Amino acid sequence: MLTDNQPIEATQDRRENLKIIGAISATCAFPFSAGELYGQHEHPAAAAQAALPKPSFFSAAEMAQITRIADLIIPATDTPGALAAGVPAYIDYVCQRNEALAKTVREGLAALKGPADVATLEQLQAAQSPFFKAIKNLTADGYYTSKIGLLDELVYKGNQVLAEFPSCTIPEH
Amino acid sequence: MAEKIYDVVIVGSGAAGGTLAAHLARSGADVCVVEGGPKVNTRTDFNTHSLPHEFPNRHIPTMKPGKPGFDSERSRGLGGKTMLWNAVAWRFSQRDFKGRSHDGAGEDWPLAYADMAPWYDKIEREVGVCGNLDGLEDLPDGVFLPPVPMKCSDLIVKRGAAKLGVKVIHVRKSTLTQARGPRPGCHFCGNCMAGCDVVAKYNSYDVHMVPALRTGKLTLQPDSVVREVMVDANNRATGVRYLNRVTKAEGEVKGKTVIIAAACVQSIALLMMSKSARYPTGLANSSGHLGKDFIPHFTGGVQCFLKDLIGKPTTNDEGFLDHAYVPSFMHNRKRDYARSFGVQFNYQNRRATGWARDVAGFGASYKEAVKARFPAFLTFAPYGEMLPHAGTYVELDYEKKDQFGLPLAKRVLGWSDHDMTLFREMTRWSKDILEASGAEIFAVGEKPQTNHELGGARMGSDPKRSVVNAYCQTHDVPNLFVVDGSVFPSASEKNPTHTIMALAARTADHIAQRAKRGEL
Ligand SMILES: Cc1cc2nc3c(=O)[nH]c(=O)nc-3n(C[C@H](O)[C@H](O)[C@H](O)COP(=O)(O)OP(=O)(O)OC[C@H]3O[C@@H](n4cnc5c(N)ncnc54)[C@H](O)[C@@H]3O)c2cc1C
Ligand code: SF4
Repeated sequence: MLTDNQPIEATQDRRENLKIIGAISATCAFPFSAGELYGQHEHPAAAAQAALPKPSFFSAAEMAQITRIADLIIPATDTPGALAAGVPAYIDYVCQRNEALAKTVREGLAALKGPADVATLEQLQAAQSPFFKAIKNLTADGYYTSKIGLLDELVYKGNQVLAEFPSCTIPEH
Repeated sequence: MAEKIYDVVIVGSGAAGGTLAAHLARSGADVCVVEGGPKVNTRTDFNTHSLPHEFPNRHIPTMKPGKPGFDSERSRGLGGKTMLWNAVAWRFSQRDFKGRSHDGAGEDWPLAYADMAPWYDKIEREVGVCGNLDGLEDLPDGVFLPPVPMKCSDLIVKRGAAKLGVKVIHVRKSTLTQARGPRPGCHFCGNCMAGCDVVAKYNSYDVHMVPALRTGKLTLQPDSVVREVMVDANNRATGVRYLNRVTKAEGEVKGKTVIIAAACVQSIALLMMSKSARYPTGLANSSGHLGKDFIPHFTGGVQCFLKDLIGKPTTNDEGFLDHAYVPSFMHNRKRDYARSFGVQFNYQNRRATGWARDVAGFGASYKEAVKARFPAFLTFAPYGEMLPHAGTYVELDYEKKDQFGLPLAKRVLGWSDHDMTLFREMTRWSKDILEASGAEIFAVGEKPQTNHELGGARMGSDPKRSVVNAYCQTHDVPNLFVVDGSVFPSASEKNPTHTIMALAARTADHIAQRAKRGEL
C-alpha cells in the first residue's frame, strides 16, 4: 500500500519518464504512446474549410442581393474579401437554421427592392437598422471565421507548438 | 456472490472527486467513483486543435464526432470541468477565510488559513502549480514551478495599472512549466479550455485518478447518473442509486461512507432529490439552509484595444492563455461595499473574432480597422465576491426535466444593492486601469454575469445555520460528506478550484484517520 505523503508522480516508473523527457527536449515532438504516457506532438497543418451545402434557403434574387451586400461590407482589396471566403453560402446556411434572423434578413432584403449600393447601406447604418446589423454581423462572422479571414487576412498565428514562450520584444515598456 | 460494499463512494469525478479518490485510495480505502459522464480521453476525444472554419456553422464542438461527453451538467465525463478549465490556481488568504471578521458582513469560515496551508502545499507538490513568489499578504505564496513570462500586452497593462497604484502579477496555474513524471511542460498552443491533449494542464482524471488506479483500490464507474443517496432507518447513508447514462437502467453502488462532489449546484440538487419523510426538504437539510447562501462569483467585462499594439504585426502569444493577474487591492482601501474583486485578463483565444462585428462601419476602411485591431484586442474581466442574501438561491424545478427525467436545478439570482455597487465599482476600476494603459475602450459589460458557482450547502460550526462542518461532513448524517464549492460560506474573489482541491485533500485525510480509528 502506498503511503499518503508520497507525491503521485513518484509512483511511476522513473526511467521510462526520463526517456520521454529526453525525447521532448531533443525534438519537441513525441507521438502519443500507449497506456498513460503523455507526449508532445506535432500539430497538423490547418485543415481545409468545411464545405457548405449549395444555398437553398434564399431565392436566387435574394442570394444576388446578399452577395452584393457582403461584397460591399468586406470587399476584396489587396487581400480577398467576403465573396472569396464563401460568406453568402454561410449566410444562407445560418439563416436556414435561425428563424428570427432569417425573418430580419428576408424583410430587409424585400424592403430594399433591388441591389444595394454604398449609399443605401450608409443610410441603413445611420438609422441603426436591425437588418443592417444582422447582415453585417453575419458577414463579419462568416469572413473572420473563414480560413481566408482568420489565417490570411488577420494572420492568426496561434495553435502551434512552441518550445518556450517568447518574451516580449516590443521595446520601451 | 455478496454485493460489494465499498469503504467510500464518491459522486462526481472533477477537481473534488478526483482529488478525494486518489487520496483515499492511497490511504488504503476501497473507493468507487460514480460519474454521470463517460470516460473521455484528453489526448484523442476533444476538438483541441480545431479552428472555426472546419465547421459549417463555425462553432467548435467540445467533443470530436462520435465521442460522447460534456452533454449535461450531470454527465460531463471523467475529470469533470477540469478537462476544460483554465487552471488558474490561488490560495485563499486569511482575509478570505475570515471575511466577516475583516469587514463585518457575510460569514467567516470555521477554519483559518493555517488549517489549509499544509493542504495547499500538498496539492501544489502533487500536481504542479506555476507562479511567482510575490510576497503578498492577501495572496499567499506556495510551492511553485517557474512562472511564464508576461506578454507585451500584459506589460503595457502593468505599466498603466502602476500609475494608479495597482499591482499586476504573474498568473498562477495548475499547469506544468517543466516536464514532471509522464507529463510534459506546456507547449503554448493556447487551447487550454478546449482540453489540453498533453496534460501539461492539470485534469483530475489523468493526474489524480489514473495513477491511483495502480493502488488496486480505486474503481471508476462512469456513465452512472446518480439520482438519490440512499439512507437507512438508522440515519446512515448506505450508497447511491443511479441511472445508466445510455440505457437509463437503474443501479446501486453501496458504501460505508458517501461523498457528494458533483459540483456545487448539482450536489445541492442531489441532496434535494434525496428528500425523505425524515428530511422532507432535502437530505441533510435540518437547518433549512440547503440551496440558500448561494454566492457565485460575478464578473463584469471590458473589451479594449491597446493603442500601442494597433497596426503591429500579429504575434503568437495566446499560448497558456492569460499570463498575468490583478490581485485584489480594494480590500484594504476605503470603500462603500464589503469584500473586493480581482481581475483576470488577456485570456481570450485569438481564434475567437466575434468582436469584429462591432467595429464601426463597412467597406475597405472597416476591413482595415479590424485587421489593425486584431493584435491589440484584450479582454479584462473583474471577478467580484457576492454576499449571501435571501434573493439568491438554488432550487429544483420539478416542472422541467433533463434527459434523464430528473428535475433541473434552477439558479435564482436576485442582485442585491451590495452586489450592484461592487459590480459598478469593479467595472469603473477596469476602465480606469485600461485607460491608464492607453486603451481604446471598445465594449463594457452592463450586467453582472455569474461564474464559479459557490455556496448553497455551507460549512459552519452551528448546525442550525449550516449544512456541513469544517470537515465537510453533514451535520445531520454522520457518514455523508459534501466536498466542492457548495460548502464555501464566503466566496473570496479568487478562482476557487485550488481551494476545493485542498479541502478535498483535507477531508480525505480526515476520513482516512477516522477510518483507522474505527469511527466510520
Ligand atoms: C472553461 C472553464 C474554465 C475554468 N477556469 C477555471 C480557473 O481558471 N480556475 C478555477 O479555479 N476554476 C476554473 N473553472 C472552474 C473549475 O472547473 C471548477 O471549479 C472545478 O472543476 C470544480 O470541481 P468539482 O469537482 O466541484 O466539479 P466538476 O469538475 O464540475 O466535476 C463534477 C462532476 O460531477 C458529475 N456529476 C454531476 N452531477 C452528477 C450526478 N447526479 N451523478 C453523477 N455525476 C454527476 C459531473 O458530470 C462532473 O463530471 C473553470 C471552469 C470552466 C468550465
Ligand atoms: S497552452 Fe499549454 S496547457 Fe494550454 S492546452 Fe496548450 S500545452 Fe496544454
